[in-house]
Amino acid sequence: MNVLRFIRRAVLLMAVPALLLCLIPKAASASTVSAGTGWVRLAHLSPDTPAVDVYLYSFGDSSAEQVLHHVGYGTVSPYESIAAGDYTVAMRAAGAAATSAPVLSATLTVAPGGAYTVAGLGPESGLRLQVIRDQLSTPPGKTLVRVIQASLQQHVVTVTWNGASAVSNLAFGSVSSYQAVSPATATLHVSGESKTVNTTITLAAGTVHTLVVLDGSKGLVLDNFLDSAGSGAAPTGGVATGFGGTAPKVPSPMPWVYLIGAGLLLAAGGGAAASRRRQPSA
Amino acid sequence: MPGGKRAALLVLAVGVIAAVAGGAGLALTRHPVAAQWGATPSLPAPTGPIAASPQQRSAQVSLPVALTIPAIGVQTSLIHLGLTATGTLQVPSSTAVAGWYTGSPRPGAVGSAVIAGHIDSQAGPGIFFRLSSLHPGDLVYVRRADGTLAVFKVTDVRQYAKDSFPTAAVYSPTPDPELRLITCGGTFDPALGSYLSNTVVYAVETL
Repeated sequence: MNVLRFIRRAVLLMAVPALLLCLIPKAASASTVSAGTGWVRLAHLSPDTPAVDVYLYSFGDSSAEQVLHHVGYGTVSPYESIAAGDYTVAMRAAGAAATSAPVLSATLTVAPGGAYTVAGLGPESGLRLQVIRDQLSTPPGKTLVRVIQASLQQHVVTVTWNGASAVSNLAFGSVSSYQAVSPATATLHVSGESKTVNTTITLAAGTVHTLVVLDGSKGLVLDNFLDSAGSGAAPTGGVATGFGGTAPKVPSPMPWVYLIGAGLLLAAGGGAAASRRRQPSA
Repeated sequence: MPGGKRAALLVLAVGVIAAVAGGAGLALTRHPVAAQWGATPSLPAPTGPIAASPQQRSAQVSLPVALTIPAIGVQTSLIHLGLTATGTLQVPSSTAVAGWYTGSPRPGAVGSAVIAGHIDSQAGPGIFFRLSSLHPGDLVYVRRADGTLAVFKVTDVRQYAKDSFPTAAVYSPTPDPELRLITCGGTFDPALGSYLSNTVVYAVETL
């Protein structure tokens, strides 16, 4: 029958798009995975060495990735993010040609997530470039502090924090290990053979500080570098920032239910009328 | 009579097709659908002095007072957020403003500053409704009490299940001025009355 064939075709026609809808793949969410990077900063901590230009090369490259010009004593540059890998650091006299032989050079391997200070340390006569490994994270609720002794006039210094000994007999050109201290605002006292300096500083939880002892024009100077900072007290768990007003909702089934109902009614009515008319007329 | 029988069969056919269509439609529409909440507004970039990255010497940076994200039309003042009694991050009581976690570094100071806002209220979009639409490279502006601006560039947009929230990645120290913007995301659980995931946008200061 034409009508039955029509019905079959109609059902098939609707089934094909229905099947295709199920096959549409969900869009994959792209996740950015960044290559390993680390942090590097440069420091000039030799009191009797004049200002220098500092070059950072990716190992084997002849053109520098970074150049800092006229870096004077006491300068510690901000950290720069760089790709993990091998590097060469070269020091030249300030203003010297980039192609001239460096005064000093050192190699540095940056591990992913690692942080490094490349510092010129010591007296000019014994100047060296030292790669210092830095820590950026702290034990929970604590501050990390270390001291770099860059005073030539005071050969050895002792540092107390609120009266308690923090670092004893740190020699010129040395870097102390990190100490974890409880956060506080207190007085730092640095004393050498003939000079002292006091300063009040605030050490907040979740911060890392490098204190640098320098020769100033009138005696000792203490510089307080904030190496890194985070939330001293980290909240636990996730954040409850939503109430669901825009969340996707399953559409109401009612329009489709009405359509099914209407269709069944029509089918019943038509079928009944058709079958009645099938009976042979008297 | 053939004409009447054909008409009856046609009605039967139409009825069957309608019923089948209704059944297919019902079956195919049992998944959740998001309502459309209007086109994304966009804002011009704020003007004002952009303060250079502070030196590492612990200079105190001025407090944050407002947040603007031109790409997704966000413009809000910033309230202060602390910790709840159970140690979780406080959230703004209004869904129309964002808040800065006072236990985190100030935006533009060395370290990872944290700002949170609601994705929605019970009725509709909240201040961070479009946060997950941000892309790496989009700019985020924080205005400070002294009138200066700190500008951040988005580096990553991630979604995490709340019960495996990466506390270290979000709150631990960084050596440069960075920003984390947090809101809810993923599936909403009506039984819990909350979303199951958080969206976190990472950004670093740019000049």
